[in-house]
Amino acid sequence: MSDFLQMGLTGLSLGLMYALIAIGLTLIFGVMRIIQYAHGEMFMLGAFALYYWHAELGLPYWAGVAFSAGLIFCLGAVLQVVLFKPLQGKNILYSLAVSLGLVLIISGSGQLLFGTTTKGIPSAVSGGMLIGGAYLSYERIVISAVSIGLIIALWAFLRHSVTGFAIRAVAEDPQTAALQGIRTDRVHWIAFGIGSAMAAIAGCMMGTLLSIVPTMGFLATIKAFMIVIMGGLGSVIGALIGGLILGMIDSVVTTTISGDIAIILSFVVIFLILVFRPSGLFGQNWD
Amino acid sequence: MDKTDIIASPNRLVWAGLLLLALAAPFLVGFDLYLIHVGITISFNVALATSLWMIWSLGVISFAHAGFMGIGAYASALVLTKLGLSMWYGLWIGAVISALFAMLIAVPLMRTRAVYFFMASWAVGEVIKRNFAYFKDFFGGWDGVFDIKPPVLDLGFLQIDFADRLAYYYLALFFVALTVWIIYRMNASRTGMIWWAIHENELLAQHTGINVFRQKVVCFTIACTLVGVTGALYAHYQTYISPKSFDIWKSEFALVHLIVGGLTTVGGPVAGAISLTMVDEALRATGYFRTIFFGVVLIASVLLLPGGLETIPARIRRLFNRKSKE
Repeated sequence: MSDFLQMGLTGLSLGLMYALIAIGLTLIFGVMRIIQYAHGEMFMLGAFALYYWHAELGLPYWAGVAFSAGLIFCLGAVLQVVLFKPLQGKNILYSLAVSLGLVLIISGSGQLLFGTTTKGIPSAVSGGMLIGGAYLSYERIVISAVSIGLIIALWAFLRHSVTGFAIRAVAEDPQTAALQGIRTDRVHWIAFGIGSAMAAIAGCMMGTLLSIVPTMGFLATIKAFMIVIMGGLGSVIGALIGGLILGMIDSVVTTTISGDIAIILSFVVIFLILVFRPSGLFGQNWD
Repeated sequence: MDKTDIIASPNRLVWAGLLLLALAAPFLVGFDLYLIHVGITISFNVALATSLWMIWSLGVISFAHAGFMGIGAYASALVLTKLGLSMWYGLWIGAVISALFAMLIAVPLMRTRAVYFFMASWAVGEVIKRNFAYFKDFFGGWDGVFDIKPPVLDLGFLQIDFADRLAYYYLALFFVALTVWIIYRMNASRTGMIWWAIHENELLAQHTGINVFRQKVVCFTIACTLVGVTGALYAHYQTYISPKSFDIWKSEFALVHLIVGGLTTVGGPVAGAISLTMVDEALRATGYFRTIFFGVVLIASVLLLPGGLETIPARIRRLFNRKSKE
């Protein structure tokens, strides 16, 4: 029983972290209809920003998370304006190619600048507690709480703030939104920045929990795309549910059978979901 | 076709020139073994990119393409190492197995559309790769399959050992030319026009009486068969294959060749694959910077040359027209 509880708790915290990466990606796709393949690189850069701030310079942890989020927000906004704006309205393949180039550049220069050795970020809290025989570290609790908090904050932002309304309007219909006086260009870089910043915060959390290397972005991109496709592109709630499903598969199947089977199984699950619901669990039909 | 026909159509002239250049290439580079290796790599990449372009004529891009190349490669390699049959059998067995898998997978896969198709096909490719890695006893796990001998052609009076790189270059060139020719002819045929009709507007195509689903499955199967043959050739050239040889990056680079080359004619993927493979090999000396430079070249070509390399002739023509007017 306690084994299952342990697996469930691990899966839940893992799933929330995955969801955080995936929600950023789904926001970017929903608003701009572009494939941002370098999303995992934002995740990696976010983790390294915190590493240099906290482990190398010894500055406070939470300020480092905020610094990292702000930095990656600016980076995302600049990338959108410089690289992705000219591709607006073109076939989705072009944005895929450009972001693929970004992946090569960022992960390549990451290996040059940061080195290829594995690094760790010292965590902000220590200790843990036992719940019904399952061990739960305070670190995982804090990380899950941050994930939940950010997801709720984003939801509230999209629902109740003026900018959030603008973002949703552009996602719904960019031309009508522009006719209503919404500055779509501004909405685009804001949404891109927010999406990237969420990946960066997820990177900070993941970097504290596990370890960081410059090549970790690719795996994060894969996970994020798996989740987003499973839940339906452009759907925030879909990304959350997809993240939890993937986290549970990862946790349960890895402990009971093996890691290889967990990956094969998660791809099979995605394939089946797409066959029976061709637009994902909560997706609309994009063409 | 007679001689005047060639001169009348500049496209054919270019194709014939390209083929002649490819045939003469080993002599031009002075039989340099490394450059012949680059030539063989270019051949494989051209075959991969053009058959991916064939799927693109339906309006979708398959990320499972490298996976099907892997099926062809593994089938041919295992036929040699387990049954002792040479590549002349393995090639066709690989093609048939690749085709069967493609047909089986295409039936559920073609239910998905647009972006979802990318990801569903990605899942297919990843599952194929992971299965090669997981079943250690049969496929050799992550270590892969070793000792895949190149074939020997025995014509009685003449024996050609394809372990020789020059001989293999011509073998690869033959199959690539065949692949490109098949795709070119298919694309120019009525069937090709049906595929482009589906590409333009699926609903309208359906309403004009096209069996969209069947056409999609057929197109996907043919493209995967062709890439299965390429995979078998690849396996016998490298003499070693592992699941890592057929991962998502291979499909992605084929896609990059397509985009940089251009998406509307078969010349696009050919031009893209040739030029980018050359760029990639030229950057090899730069070590760590190789991937960075490749990324820069990729982004620059997408942003500065929309439409790809295939639009260059039209651009040059426009430039001259403008000058002659002035």
